[in-house]
Amino acid sequence: MNNIGYIKLLVIIFIANFLESFLAPILVKVYINIPITFLMFSFAIYKSRFNTNALYAFLFGLYVDFISSSPIGLNAALFSMMAYVINSYSNTFKLFSVIQICMFFSGSATFYIGFSHLFINLENFSYLILFISLIFNTFLFLIISMLRFYFPSLTIK
Amino acid sequence: MSRVAPTSGSKALYFLCITLSAFLLYLDINYKSFERAKNLYKSFTISSSYLVKRITIDPFSYIYKISKEKTKLIEENKKLKQELDNSYITNFILSRDSKFFIDDEAIKKFLDLNKINKPFHLAKINSFDVEKYFCCSQHRMFIKIFNDKDVDFIGSTVINNQGILGQIIYDESIAEILLLTDVSHVIPIISKNHFCNARGSGKPGVITCNYSKLIWPDPVEIGQEFFSSGMGGIYPSNILIGYVSSITSLDDTNINFDVHLVSDPLKSNFIGVLETL
Repeated sequence: MNNIGYIKLLVIIFIANFLESFLAPILVKVYINIPITFLMFSFAIYKSRFNTNALYAFLFGLYVDFISSSPIGLNAALFSMMAYVINSYSNTFKLFSVIQICMFFSGSATFYIGFSHLFINLENFSYLILFISLIFNTFLFLIISMLRFYFPSLTIK
Repeated sequence: MSRVAPTSGSKALYFLCITLSAFLLYLDINYKSFERAKNLYKSFTISSSYLVKRITIDPFSYIYKISKEKTKLIEENKKLKQELDNSYITNFILSRDSKFFIDDEAIKKFLDLNKINKPFHLAKINSFDVEKYFCCSQHRMFIKIFNDKDVDFIGSTVINNQGILGQIIYDESIAEILLLTDVSHVIPIISKNHFCNARGSGKPGVITCNYSKLIWPDPVEIGQEFFSSGMGGIYPSNILIGYVSSITSLDDTNINFDVHLVSDPLKSNFIGVLETL
């Protein structure tokens, strides 16, 4: 998944957003939130061979704001922040173990949930959702990353 | 080729993008500047998904139905379901006609005055973001109203066969409903000696009230029924809104209680829209 094309990523994000809107009402009943769209975008940047332009992240964020009916600017800001962090630590990630990277992404996902809930769900802000999502996401990413050991054909180069 | 850390130039660009995002966020939250664009996008997606479904899925389902030789039966079934939903809502109004209107004369006068030949307009739910309904504070629903006349429905009450769902806040090709549970929604409710402006809690099926013991000395009890007061000028009075589900003391004098709504927006695909005067 090196340097995925714009159109391809737009389609992937659209599908991820659709999937997220389908899964979220079910998972929220057990206090779990998986920001699939955000994670897909983060993973695309993480896997990219070159540094991503800030405008690229900003425009993708705006696109997600429109398709997910979030307040305009929320995802744009979070996507830009995530792109900056990943680009800054792109070389450091090479020293990280799989567990550390999984923890980084689950931490980022939790930050995304917390930050977005500050704007869209302040009245019912729940630390329980953040805590359970952090644990669930960490284990989920670990399982996903371990899949390549059991199914080498799934490896994304 | 290895990736290099962002240079000071690209850092400045990141800073600019984040600042611009924050500014857009501020505009959207405080002034709802992008509401029109969002609604346009929403109506576009609803119409296009309807069109795509009509072109792609519907012909196949039609062929399938023909092959099963039950087309007429299915159509009749659909029609009956719609009629049943219609009659549920009619019954809801008729069984409470004395609460929606003072007497029969008032109903007649209302209908004549507004040239209405039916007490409500049937509408179908077009889009309902269940994700937002369960997770977040914004509870909105998009509907298509079956109406031949050019009527402005903004401010109209929306009901289903269980009770009041909310009010229409936007009416173009599709209408947007602000549900009772949306945090920006307030409905005046009443029970015995208690009156309060109940605010949407952002939780599904729950609205919340605050009152001071100094003003309303009688205690509120779990299970106590609350009705619409009709004082806001939007909703009819004396319609059962819900039951008290939990009570919390904020301090010595202030009490907060939740009202569990009797109406569930997920219950039916068809709803009724009352015309405003």
